Amino acid sequence: MTVSAYRGKNPFEDPLDRILAEIAFSVQLPPSLHAKACQRYKAVREYLERTTAFQDQIEHFYPQGSMAIDATISTRGTDDEYDIDIVAQLGDRYRSLTPLAILNALASALRDYPVQKIVQQTRCVTLLYADNMHLDVTPALRDYGTTDRQSAITHAKGPLPSNDDCMVPMNAHGHAEWYKASTPDEERVIEAFKDRWFGDQRVAVRAGAEVDEVPDQTEFVVKNMATVALQLLKRYRNLRYSNYSGRIPPSVMLSYFAGAAALPDMKLSDMLIRICRWIIGEIERATINRQKLHVVNPTYSADVFTDRWPENLDQQNQFAGYLHDLVAGIERAKRGELDPVTFRDWLREMFGDRVVTRAADKMADATGAAIVAGSQVYSKKGSILLPAAATIVTSAAPVAAKPHTFFGDPVDE
Amino acid sequence: MNSRLLSIGEQVASMKRDWPGFRVSRLFRRDNAARWTGNLKQFQVYRIEIRYQVHYAPEIRVLSPTLIRLPENPEGSLPHIYDRDGDPRLCLYDPATDEWDETMHLSQTIVPWSADWLACYELWLMTGRWTGGGRHPTPRADGVAS
Repeated sequence: MTVSAYRGKNPFEDPLDRILAEIAFSVQLPPSLHAKACQRYKAVREYLERTTAFQDQIEHFYPQGSMAIDATISTRGTDDEYDIDIVAQLGDRYRSLTPLAILNALASALRDYPVQKIVQQTRCVTLLYADNMHLDVTPALRDYGTTDRQSAITHAKGPLPSNDDCMVPMNAHGHAEWYKASTPDEERVIEAFKDRWFGDQRVAVRAGAEVDEVPDQTEFVVKNMATVALQLLKRYRNLRYSNYSGRIPPSVMLSYFAGAAALPDMKLSDMLIRICRWIIGEIERATINRQKLHVVNPTYSADVFTDRWPENLDQQNQFAGYLHDLVAGIERAKRGELDPVTFRDWLREMFGDRVVTRAADKMADATGAAIVAGSQVYSKKGSILLPAAATIVTSAAPVAAKPHTFFGDPVDE
Repeated sequence: MNSRLLSIGEQVASMKRDWPGFRVSRLFRRDNAARWTGNLKQFQVYRIEIRYQVHYAPEIRVLSPTLIRLPENPEGSLPHIYDRDGDPRLCLYDPATDEWDETMHLSQTIVPWSADWLACYELWLMTGRWTGGGRHPTPRADGVAS
């Protein structure tokens, strides 16, 4: 689907947005791993097509969920593990099989696939790679004669057949296309993350670190502010529920709300607040009517995003409370009410110690290096804009940076 | 580069041109002196005062919020400051070099360097590291820094 590009805002321009963008940058799937994930799922398809069971039986093999909308972040509770979700749309031979038989056939065909581990789950088969990437392959059967890729996916806990086994309606492809149409590309966001990525690569190369080569055709996956905000929201959700073993607010539901709330040309902090408030509003409306939150795929109403969460009103109200906390903190930071130490501690509580420490360190190193070199640019309000951000700056002061040497009293006290 | 000493009137004009948010709070034409106040935004908004009299070094103070200290930090409890424990003023350039002199516009040097200081200060509070470079004088036996 073609969507028109907006200019958007540079998320690294404002100091608050910059550290939020650094946090998002720290948790999002790096472009090199995005390329690796694409190679891997193509390899899995080719492998399956060479097996007797699936030869000529794979009609489509496509990413779903976060991978399909470029919003992948590290898995719940981790900083470097990524889940990639793939749909395997199967052919006629599988139409007569039960959901459990389909999952068994897929797991069996992948039994010797060269990965660390293979796990058959309730709705998919997971391939676990040594570098902590997980590929979930979900079998689906197309509902022919309906909207593009409207399908049903397998649901069977196994190992024995059960009355709960069923085919679950879904149209992941339709949702992904709806999301992309709702969140158009924003030039400045794409350029800023691309520059940020190459800046990191240059630093790593200079430091002699082992760096995965980024192919020329690498897709720089972050394309708009709504998606950056969605990544932060998912990270926040992961942290809030890190010690909870039950079901949590599903990513697909959050992506629906991000798409519904998205507006072009917004600042990152404003977009995050907007999406949170949107969700809070929906939850409060449902709760007032003593109903559970009910969110469906906008392209297929039988595909219910909230089918497994919330289980009750308390769960949705708890999530709304968490979102209130996030919004309140960002608003205080926007008003300049949080000193840097308090702000850092609040960010750590919201998004995790390691991620925030890394983001602050990167920001300090980049800002300091620019000031030493005299390569920074100043916004009209006096904020420091770094060279990469400055190439797409929207409000620079008419002042050129010059190197200077901070001095002062002796250190001893 | 301009090699002519700039009058206080010229400093006032360039401050107004480059940083319209900074206002002259006191002007002493006879003494060739002025004070400006204005805001610089990093994570927080800082109210800054610049006092300048031709032939003297400019003085830069943070009026609000109160600067936070980090005791035991290797850079000192509040780095790159004059009179840390009395009347703290930002130290933005090395007086032993020719980084700043009276031929330069405050608006092109002192204001952006104050912004640099504030950015480094905030990130120093967040990371414990002052990454913007600089030099700390070595205390001499008689207590005068060199």
